[in-house]
Amino acid sequence: MKLVKPMADFIVELKNVNKTYSTAAGDFPALKNVNLTVNTGEFLGIVGKSGAGKSTLLNMINGVDDLSSGEVVVRSRGGQVSVHDLDEDALSLWRGRTMGVVYQSFQLLPMLTLVENITLPMDLAGNFKPRESRERARELLELMELGEHAEKLPAFISGGQQQRVAIARALANDPDILVADEPTGSLDSVTADHIFEVFEHLVSDRGKTIIMVTHEVGLESRFSRCLTLADGELVTDVEADPKPKRSRRK
Amino acid sequence: MTPPRTQPKSAPVHVADASPEAIIEMRGVVKRFSNAAGEFTVLKGIDLTINRGEFVSIVGKSGSGKSTLLNMITGIDHPSEGQVIVNGMDIYSGVSESARSKWRGKNLGIVFQFFQLLPMLTLLENVMLPMDYVDMYDFDERPVRAMELLKLVGLEQFANKLPVLVSTGQQQLAAIARAMACDPPLLIADEPTGNLDTRSADTIIGLFEHFVSQGKTIVMVTHDPSLTSRTHRNIIISDGELIDETISRGLPQLRHRHMLEFTKIAERRIFQPRETILSRDASVDYFFLIRSGEVEAVLKKPRSKETILAKLGKDQFFGDVELLRGGKAIANVRASSKPVETLMIPRADFIRVMEQSPITAEAVGKIVQKRLEEHRMADPRKSKRAA
Repeated sequence: MKLVKPMADFIVELKNVNKTYSTAAGDFPALKNVNLTVNTGEFLGIVGKSGAGKSTLLNMINGVDDLSSGEVVVRSRGGQVSVHDLDEDALSLWRGRTMGVVYQSFQLLPMLTLVENITLPMDLAGNFKPRESRERARELLELMELGEHAEKLPAFISGGQQQRVAIARALANDPDILVADEPTGSLDSVTADHIFEVFEHLVSDRGKTIIMVTHEVGLESRFSRCLTLADGELVTDVEADPKPKRSRRK
Repeated sequence: MTPPRTQPKSAPVHVADASPEAIIEMRGVVKRFSNAAGEFTVLKGIDLTINRGEFVSIVGKSGSGKSTLLNMITGIDHPSEGQVIVNGMDIYSGVSESARSKWRGKNLGIVFQFFQLLPMLTLLENVMLPMDYVDMYDFDERPVRAMELLKLVGLEQFANKLPVLVSTGQQQLAAIARAMACDPPLLIADEPTGNLDTRSADTIIGLFEHFVSQGKTIVMVTHDPSLTSRTHRNIIISDGELIDETISRGLPQLRHRHMLEFTKIAERRIFQPRETILSRDASVDYFFLIRSGEVEAVLKKPRSKETILAKLGKDQFFGDVELLRGGKAIANVRASSKPVETLMIPRADFIRVMEQSPITAEAVGKIVQKRLEEHRMADPRKSKRAA
């Protein structure tokens, strides 16, 4: 049986988070009073149907979108921030250091080589000297088993390889947390499996915390913990091994 | 396989004989790929000139080579043979990858089907990126210019948002603003609307038309016929070869493979002013497409002045009536007061393709019908016979 981790280990905490969108048709509650604690070193899956609020939840965690009420607290590198209290500039800086993002479409710059694509966020953040950033980019490509392709343009590698480059880019500034929105959504199952292996390695060997959203069914067992979201509410919260930890079904 | 390049590698240089009107010249461009199954040729000797200020679409079936063609212009891939001149510069011979990259940053704007905005940067930062990359404009000027571009594409209010918070149509608009960041003379777009709804696509083409009106050149790969109708020129690529544009405009219903076949077998011939091309009652052995100039179809009545039945110009054709309805010319056809350049398709080939292409045969048949009507009304011999 798994030990309940002490509270000090949390890396992300959502307290009574609500998000309501105003549309022409009226107010639409996308997230309803979500409470969630993500612990360091978890590979957390958030599953649910399209429109359940999964991406909105991710956008609350990384501060990409404003919340309507509640609080998101993230601990990283010895510090603790209330994400939505930061102003725009501070938020952007904080996000760049703390969270790597990976989306379904890889969005690599087609005119830059793989190594340049990964160097770019380091150069923009200015955390590494140019030479260091290039070396680091190469190391990350090696980690993704793409070292031999370093000088190629994205058009000359497969979709799965491009997504691994996007993951390497997300790791460029060595964030503690990786946030991935449907990262396997446009990949075949074998390639998707490879992405999962990469994520598992990042969690187990590199100490990263990964929060991944997917609408695909049958992937629940791949995560160390899996949440189900429906109509903006968390309905199940299951630790992978060995049995469901608790259920929040209402 | 990429052939070895001339040393030393440096920035692109001006080509002495480059046409000043042309912004893109491809001369004998061949691209071969090798894989486990062997070597295959994707581009088979492309000659193409695109002039400054043109809005050009390129279409072709999947696997026809259209993306490879575009990659030759953007420098994403290298030709195996031939020369590519963009804005007067040879972009391959002796040019290093990094020199080409810098050159491209200032000369080309590129728009992709999936936008390729950096997810961790705001729209404004994404638009500023190319200016930072090639170090164009003063540091303080960059955000101002980026904001102006976002305003132009209607995204001013979203400037500080991350791409994930705006629609796909808006992401593409931001990508277009980014492509124009360094004010390039040439915009290259690869299926820019392929991932968008009709309304967003319409906005984007409207924006392209605006850039063209400002003197920019736009080359766009697309498979959407509603977009090709809005460009100045539509280039069709089939099986790695370009289809003659007179053939594709004159016989638009033909299948690409038939257009390509006609492109290959067509004989080019220039007729001097007033030169007779077809004589009435003589046998007709070719189907004629007019590439430039004008022809007149003329009936000469005995003891009276001639009647001009029709004047036909660029991209129109003649010889159709005779080939489809019996072999003899029903009127005299001659060049008008200027030289006429024609493409001539041999009779047997034309008839064979018409038999295989019922849609084109029907379209041509309608024109035949119309011309026979006009002819019947004007021909004194036939009216006499009828009387």
